[in-house]
Amino acid sequence: MGTNAHDALRQVAEPVQAPAADVRYTCPAVAENVTAIRSGIGAFAAAAGLPSELVDDIRIALTEAVTNVVRHAYEVGAPGEVDVAVRLEHDLVQVVVSDDGRGLDAASADAAGPGLGLPLIAALASTLELRSPAAGGCRLEMTFDRRRRVAA
Amino acid sequence: MSAETVVTEPTTVSIAAGPLVAPILRRVVGMLAARADLPLDRLDDAVLIADLLAARAPAHLRRETVDVVVEQSPRTLALRVGPLRRGGGDALVGEAAVPGVGNVIEQLADELRVVEDAGDEYLHVRLACAAP
Repeated sequence: MGTNAHDALRQVAEPVQAPAADVRYTCPAVAENVTAIRSGIGAFAAAAGLPSELVDDIRIALTEAVTNVVRHAYEVGAPGEVDVAVRLEHDLVQVVVSDDGRGLDAASADAAGPGLGLPLIAALASTLELRSPAAGGCRLEMTFDRRRRVAA
Repeated sequence: MSAETVVTEPTTVSIAAGPLVAPILRRVVGMLAARADLPLDRLDDAVLIADLLAARAPAHLRRETVDVVVEQSPRTLALRVGPLRRGGGDALVGEAAVPGVGNVIEQLADELRVVEDAGDEYLHVRLACAAP
């Protein structure tokens, strides 16, 4: 088939977008949604057949990450959203928590409290990456390895 | 604005079409229905509708995910399902018919409509309960 035919087919074919996540949850960054997200994503992890110990770890890490967004990402009283995306790939569970808030510097400048959230997440997750995207906000990427639990 | 008319910002849940749709969607919808202060019988109705959507919507999707926007206000829960393929909204509702029972979604929802937006279709379902 020639290149022109390929191009013609692309134009008539309905675009199919592969999902970037197995489940994605977007909601206002308010305290009552911390539980909602933990419950929704927990249901996903349990239904996916992940070991209960790993589901617990994901729930705890997620609670810490979303709580950080609720407390620090936006000015007090300012509206904003938190986005949680989870993807299963073989033995890895990737969890991304992101927001469109003030970014890492501003958020950490007014951070009060013992600051145990990130160390706790780091202890539970196999990898942890915290970024400030150029577009603004903050993006926390965690991966959890189910093999690590089996080996432990 | 009185407390009775407060509508919270919507929650969006997007789930890859497959066996995980039902357990996630029923949990999320049930949770938000409880938060909207729907009574127990209407909460059950909301979960039943979530199960129906989870079972039927994947056949009519425009993408590979089941996308549901949930808006809650006191004693009201509104779901927007889509984008769906053209004709998918009516087909989805039609498939909720059970012999001898009738159409389950039509019977449970207070409002049911298919809306077209930029070439896509969305099914809107609203459940409400009058204040006691």
